[in-house]
Amino acid sequence: MGKKHKNIRNVILILAGAVIVILGAGYKWSERHVYYYNAGQPHPINCASCHVYPQRDGFLAEFLNEDYLSPVNVAISKDQKTLYVTAQEGNKLVVVDLESQTVKKTIDVGLFPHSILLHPDEELGYVTNQWSNSISVIDLINLEIIDTLGTGYGPSGMSIDQEGKFLYVTNTYSSNLSIIDLESGEEIRRLNTGNNPMGAAVSPDGNSVFVCSRRTIPIPFRTPPKTELTVANTKTQRVDDRKFFVSAHIMENIAITPSGDLTIVTLVRPKNLVPSTQIERGWMMNQGIGIIENNNEGRLSQFILDDPNAYYPDPFDIVISNDGKRGYISHSGVDKITVIDIDAIREILATASEEDLKLFSNHLGISDQFVITRISTGSSPKGMTLSSDGSILYVAERLEDRVSMTDTRSFDFIGNLDLGGPKKISVTRKGAKLFTNAGHTFQNQYSCYSCHPDGHEDGLTYDLTGQGRNLANVQTLRDLSGTAPFKWIGTNVSVYMQCGMRFSKFVTRTEAFAPDDLDAVVAYIMRDLTHPPNPFQDLEGELTPAQLRGKVIYERTTTNDGREIPVENQCITCHPPPNFTNLLAADVGTKKEIDDYYLFDSPNLNNVYESAPYLHDGSAATLEEIWTKFNDHDLHGVANDMTKNQLNDMIEYLKSFGAAHTYTNMKTKEAKYENSSEKY
Amino acid sequence: MKIHQRNTNFKITSLVLSLAGLLFFGFIGTEEKAAKAPLIYDQWEVFTTSDGLPSNKAFCVKVDNDRVWVGTNEGLALYEGGKWTTYTTEDGLAHRGVLSIDISPVTGDVWIATMSGLNRFSAGKFETFTQFNSGLANDVIYNVTCVGKDVWVATGGGASHFDPYTQRWEIFTEQNAPMHEPWTYGITSGDGKVFIAAWGGGVIEYTPETRQFRDYVDPDGEMEIDLFPDDGLVHDITTGVSYSEGVLWAATYFGLSRYDGTQWKGYFKEDSGLASNFINFVKANGKVVWLCTDEGLSGFDGTTWVTYSTKENRKDGEITITKDKDISKLKTSTSLSNNFIIGVDFQDDYIWVATAKGVSRGKAQAGATIQSSIK
Repeated sequence: MGKKHKNIRNVILILAGAVIVILGAGYKWSERHVYYYNAGQPHPINCASCHVYPQRDGFLAEFLNEDYLSPVNVAISKDQKTLYVTAQEGNKLVVVDLESQTVKKTIDVGLFPHSILLHPDEELGYVTNQWSNSISVIDLINLEIIDTLGTGYGPSGMSIDQEGKFLYVTNTYSSNLSIIDLESGEEIRRLNTGNNPMGAAVSPDGNSVFVCSRRTIPIPFRTPPKTELTVANTKTQRVDDRKFFVSAHIMENIAITPSGDLTIVTLVRPKNLVPSTQIERGWMMNQGIGIIENNNEGRLSQFILDDPNAYYPDPFDIVISNDGKRGYISHSGVDKITVIDIDAIREILATASEEDLKLFSNHLGISDQFVITRISTGSSPKGMTLSSDGSILYVAERLEDRVSMTDTRSFDFIGNLDLGGPKKISVTRKGAKLFTNAGHTFQNQYSCYSCHPDGHEDGLTYDLTGQGRNLANVQTLRDLSGTAPFKWIGTNVSVYMQCGMRFSKFVTRTEAFAPDDLDAVVAYIMRDLTHPPNPFQDLEGELTPAQLRGKVIYERTTTNDGREIPVENQCITCHPPPNFTNLLAADVGTKKEIDDYYLFDSPNLNNVYESAPYLHDGSAATLEEIWTKFNDHDLHGVANDMTKNQLNDMIEYLKSFGAAHTYTNMKTKEAKYENSSEKY
Repeated sequence: MKIHQRNTNFKITSLVLSLAGLLFFGFIGTEEKAAKAPLIYDQWEVFTTSDGLPSNKAFCVKVDNDRVWVGTNEGLALYEGGKWTTYTTEDGLAHRGVLSIDISPVTGDVWIATMSGLNRFSAGKFETFTQFNSGLANDVIYNVTCVGKDVWVATGGGASHFDPYTQRWEIFTEQNAPMHEPWTYGITSGDGKVFIAAWGGGVIEYTPETRQFRDYVDPDGEMEIDLFPDDGLVHDITTGVSYSEGVLWAATYFGLSRYDGTQWKGYFKEDSGLASNFINFVKANGKVVWLCTDEGLSGFDGTTWVTYSTKENRKDGEITITKDKDISKLKTSTSLSNNFIIGVDFQDDYIWVATAKGVSRGKAQAGATIQSSIK
């Protein structure tokens, strides 16, 4: 071999060696990198898992993801020719011609539409825009928006009186019920309801409107949740009664039998007060229905829909047949519809004592007495409606972008109504399906959604360790990007770790997600889950005078009498924007006797106004209590020198914390003090 | 919660009183005369613990259509259908000392001011707001007033305003309002304004729309006498305010003031028919103002005073009618339960009076005219 060829050979060998070394070392580094972020769970080295799929913006995010419709509720015209479907993520109302089974029109409505309700004369329809705090009024003849009505915060469920004069709208985020005069289009009053109301139904006699809520009312620490069902009088337009389902929550929807004898709500019975290790006694939660016997002094009862070894999580909607004999409940956690025999329930109630009812509310075998069958559906069945003769059940399958049709006489599948959403299933869409499905939990008892409805939190504290120690207040999963580590003690460095092997062994008691499934779930959480608009945050980015004063307090460096506040004890240090966390753990003096740790990860405070209760164990019922009850030694920020005015203003400021992305646009405008009353 | 049935036994002095009314007021029966003559109530009934009240010390009374709420030293009482029902802290009441009650005209919710927090009572359920769990200024609440959908409270630590729609609280203290100190006693509203009776600070007027304040103080400063008559508020130790038909009434421990937007007028025991200068509570009903004092109950329609009083441990009483220098006294066989009057409200033909020794209910005397512009 000549000298020239030898040199070339040597260069090639050197380069090849370098590549082998680099790749080898890089591979080793990648291995360690993936190992670290997956808590040791085996995971293929795939950079896209963490660095591409969870991205919200950018070319790749646009390329890899789709704009799904995500239908959530449906309504059918009296002539049975038209189906109206609210497409939650598509911000649309989809109008389907049932004769041709094709989409007739899609109408752009407000943000995150929730429900569609048809006026009795069917000339108009109403769509609640949950993230726009409005109702779109739809001309059903011309299929166009003709008006927009104002509501409280987060309108969701609706009902209408028989004459079509008043619209009753639940405001989920402000916990009240708007009564809207449809002639004037004006809200005439707003009644206080339970916490996080969702479903509404006017009784068949027209005298009452029932409103069910999702979250417990404020309760003493470590006592059973109590979730309110509000009954308002349609004539006086005042609240007549407040009923409480104890040890229950997430009452998403409500229906009343045509005779008016029973009001039925979907609900979840959480077992957050007992250790999560007691699997044989119903484990973490059961699913069921709550019943009010309207002809029996309003007696309350709860019946479990689960079977002893099979659970039916996340009950969402309930519809009742025209003859009042059958009910259909959608379970988005297992993609099933439960069909119940309401007459059988009536028979049980007719002879049941209070003691019996107490037993039934915890009896896994009771469902056998009234469940007729379970119908399988596509992913995430949500809102439903029946044809006028009750023969067809229409179900919005949220993660399929379609409405399924089932023959209620044979329970046979008839077909699907394609709403025109994308056909490709993106990684995040797959993640959404996994997130809402309980298939990865023991006996399908609950899904991620069960404790994190709408990607948020359920307002409860659980004993996840099973030892009666280190209680955990459920945290939101919204806007998690850039907020690692996770868990109250900050030991989980990534969502992969949080949702991976540790979670499966620790909580779900089953095998961990397969790597690509884990990637999908994480991508969904990191990319798709975001906070709704904050009603206390001005869209222009300006702060009210109270919020501005509160910001001054929040960012202060000295006390009222001029003493320096240590940097580590200033609010802004641990909770800086945009996520209002410095990602570090701190001792804020909230350790209880049953805690093994005193350092807690600084939680992100975006939309903190809707995350009660507070602190790691949920012991602070309101934001105020964080400082009035749990900050004796000023370890959680120096607050004991504050006047009540100052504390109130600071809390006004805290309540204005919106989603992280809004802080690039936030301006601080100096309030114009026109008189001394605006100043301290 | 306890329920008691009241067995009533009325004693009527109609003949004497009717004759006295006829003689004093002339021919009566026309609406016009009815509009001008003062109120005459008799047929007094007294409700005590033996009838179901939780305590004889009644701090306030509030009429809610056919229901009557009474705040006492030992809980909240409701009179409905002839029965008393008691609510205590066991039922969810924030504190046994109930100082003030108001009803939301929008939602019908009952707002209850106690010595340790504020309750919203709706459909049988209590919700509690304290200075620890909410933006409430202070737990010692002397007065609660519903202004449309909003709720205003006068507390020992400032006045608080709550918007139930947005759940927002505002506090007004000496730091951000022209108050001498944050101790507030009463609140009223009218014509787009909110008036706050501030201990030592006179009356604070607030306009929510413009967020502007102004204050009304005693021009005589801290002098205990009214040096120059009708020059302003008679005293800065205000205990209550009431606004009706364009007139602001301010009660103090040293007399009564009336303000019509341009002119002040002071009234004292010494130169009017006012029962006492020590006024606990004031309520204007149309053009007639009622003063709850430590020596009886006085009503005034602008020209004539009517004062109700009783003797200790006696069931009979006396009505003193004062018009300019003319004073007439009428003996009555029934009377208020006690002269220490703390609250008053009206229900059709009835007047309800909260006293230190029970709740009294009087009936507008048949044959005499009703002069109050009761709605």
